[in-house]
Amino acid sequence: MTTFSPSPVRRSPSKWPDRALALVGAIATLLSFGLFVWLVWDLVRLGLPRLSWTFLTAGVEDAGRSGGIGPLLVSTLWVLLCCLTLAIPLGTGCALWLSEFVRRGSLLARLVTGGVDLLASVPSIVFGLFGMVFFSQTLGLGFSILSGGLTLACMILPILVRTTLSALEALPADLRPAAAALGLSKTTATARILLPAAFPGIVVGITLGIGRALSETAALLFTSGYSTRTPESLSDSGRALSVHIYDLALNVANGAPMASSSALVLLAVIFVVNAAAVTLAESWLRRRLSFS
Amino acid sequence: MTSPDTSRAGETAPCGPPGCCGSSNLCIADLSVHYRDLTAVRGVTLDIPEGEITALVGPSGCGKTSFLHSLNRLTDLIPGCRVTGSIHLCDGTEITHPKADVLELRRRVGIVFQRPNPFPQSIRRNFEIPLKEHGWSQRDIPDRIEQVLREVGLWNEVSDRLHQNATSLSGGQQQRLCIARALALDPEVVLFDEPCSALDPIASGVVEDLIHSLKGKLTVVIVTHHLAQARRIADHAAVFWMKDGAGALVEHGPADRVFSAPADPDAALYLSGARG
Amino acid sequence: MTSSRNTSLSRSVDRVTGGILGLIAIVSGGLVLVILWHLISGAWPAIEAGRLGLFFTDGKWQPGSERDPQFGVVPMLAGSVLVTLLAVALALPVGLASAVFHRFYAPPALERWHRRMMELLIGVPAVVFGFWGLMVVVPAIVRFAPDSPGQSLLAGGIVLALMILPLIALTSQAALQAVPAAQLQAAAGLGLGRASTILSIALPAARGGITGGVLLGLARAIGETMAVVLVCGNIPQIPQSLLDPIRPITSTIALEMGYATASHKALLFCAALVLVLFCALMVGWLSFRKSASDSGTGGA
Repeated sequence: MTTFSPSPVRRSPSKWPDRALALVGAIATLLSFGLFVWLVWDLVRLGLPRLSWTFLTAGVEDAGRSGGIGPLLVSTLWVLLCCLTLAIPLGTGCALWLSEFVRRGSLLARLVTGGVDLLASVPSIVFGLFGMVFFSQTLGLGFSILSGGLTLACMILPILVRTTLSALEALPADLRPAAAALGLSKTTATARILLPAAFPGIVVGITLGIGRALSETAALLFTSGYSTRTPESLSDSGRALSVHIYDLALNVANGAPMASSSALVLLAVIFVVNAAAVTLAESWLRRRLSFS
Repeated sequence: MTSPDTSRAGETAPCGPPGCCGSSNLCIADLSVHYRDLTAVRGVTLDIPEGEITALVGPSGCGKTSFLHSLNRLTDLIPGCRVTGSIHLCDGTEITHPKADVLELRRRVGIVFQRPNPFPQSIRRNFEIPLKEHGWSQRDIPDRIEQVLREVGLWNEVSDRLHQNATSLSGGQQQRLCIARALALDPEVVLFDEPCSALDPIASGVVEDLIHSLKGKLTVVIVTHHLAQARRIADHAAVFWMKDGAGALVEHGPADRVFSAPADPDAALYLSGARG
Repeated sequence: MTSSRNTSLSRSVDRVTGGILGLIAIVSGGLVLVILWHLISGAWPAIEAGRLGLFFTDGKWQPGSERDPQFGVVPMLAGSVLVTLLAVALALPVGLASAVFHRFYAPPALERWHRRMMELLIGVPAVVFGFWGLMVVVPAIVRFAPDSPGQSLLAGGIVLALMILPLIALTSQAALQAVPAAQLQAAAGLGLGRASTILSIALPAARGGITGGVLLGLARAIGETMAVVLVCGNIPQIPQSLLDPIRPITSTIALEMGYATASHKALLFCAALVLVLFCALMVGWLSFRKSASDSGTGGA
């Protein structure tokens, strides 16, 4: 019934490309899933037997082949705390400035944003070099928890700036005019209204930063040191858990079982931290949507 | 008209259920479209005559678009959507049958959407992709493209830039491109879902004329909110209205009769502009 | 932003706050410059001693050798680049294919779980990957090729691929999700089968996002230390085959910094500068593409 010339003989579409694509996709999924399961399984197989309360509290013995990781957990915690003490104020302050106190497209804002983005691209080993030269040598901190923590702070700074910035940008658009209409100064509005409102999003960012900091190894190699004793002050050298795994794998024969156990502990902590971040983010999103 | 193999499973009688006479192209019997917890349209029985333009009119929310999309099983794409009832093409193919060849169906029953949606690739690729998929050989494709572009009046405007991205065209040109793209597959029916509502008045007029020119060549089903447009181009009209929380067909028949002397009171109110 | 009755007090308070925060922001933004400056000053002795030329022209890296000291960065650069490219070549097909599978073939619940698993896996520390690679991948390579040392370009590529796989899978999944529904609807309306829709419509539309993910993965991989230092074999050479050991720049810095002499150290700083340049260029290119696509594409 059309005016077009009759179509030439056509073949109907074949089902095989669709099946092939489905097969390839399924194989890829199984492959990626399987590899990760294999990895976790190996760690569990080698490392689970030695996991115990003693393991978590005892000192490091025989270059790490026996004993526990107690002092290392302490070191890791202290490094993390140093890191957060510097990174949170710096990151939050920078994000606040970018969001509230300067015009969006201005040159200074773009320079700062560019600088933070470039900072995010620096590899971790280079941070380690920088930390070694700046914190350990120039500032005279030597191999210390403080040096390692400050280096890590520089590393996670971009994460905190970015997530805090997006938390601030996600605030309802009428919040700021409302504060201004009440005659509040920008400082008061920011401190009393904006920050509390953006708090959940900021916490999500901090949690992500913590996860990143805990997995870091290269940045700590030349800054926080190798000592396996429990640090007694921030200027003591202390070995983080990630560095311990590296040392056992690289330098210690028969260190694999202990490295696996340490890796399991580290993975468990990071998984919990990341899961907390995801859950927090989702509940925050749900709360925001229910208000709008 | 080409005769693809249409002896599909689900064939009941040569022309579907009783009441579907030889001049109809689409026979719809007791069709309902349900989404997860609401019914968009209920119990539509309608014959769509071959080669003529049937307009579906009615206020928003009466299920016209859901009904339209069920005609080429686009409703399959929506999770949780259920279609009950039956639709037959006049050669007996049951559209609603679970085993129907949906891809071939959609070639035979084409659709043009409210917002023009050309693929953001070259104009040529917009045609090559569906033509190749449905078996046209590379040799025949350039002629086919020229043929349909002439049919929609775009050939002179784009013949020298077929390699350019389709999104560089104006809104009206893009919509005509989408129409050409659907026509290229040699369909028997083309569905139009408010095709002019996203266009400016001039482009709208061009598209409307184009749809009108398809009369006699293939069957057109057009959903439109513009009663004036429906009066201008439709041969048949079907009026939808909300009844018991779902859309329903309240009036249908030849366009002159429906628009001038509708039998159903709700339809009469709507068509006179008093409500809806 | 106009405030009707700002007293001069609150205005000065705001100025002080703005000043303090501005200072913090400048420190944050300027940190990268501080890092660069320290790298350059650390590298300066080598530049001063005119070794920079040798850095690029010497064929081998043996700075500690007394007999024949050579300072060529090219073998390590080759190692870094090759292992990164291999990692992407391995991770991209697998990540993309699984993203396609989850977007178009798997039920929505499976897609959610896949995404959650990938999000968790992104947090796995590099050192754990490297450790597992040493325990499992290297011996597996030795089993298949008994003459090879196991620690090799291939081992590094596999471990790195595993590391960046979640990143590529997630960005591909997001890119496919972002394909406008209108296009998929148009494809369906034209009777395009699922495979054609994916290959001709969805993948081309998602190409930008997928490439962005690949670049991110590249940048991550080339800066990786822990995943490669344990499995690459640590011989600075241009590999002739996949089974040859290599030593990327990152491994060199990590392994030698501890015992390097002063002049050697300066060269390591040069190597670090080369690395930073690479990464910065890649990230710069990424954000350039992003800002170009944000401003370039308008509506249809």
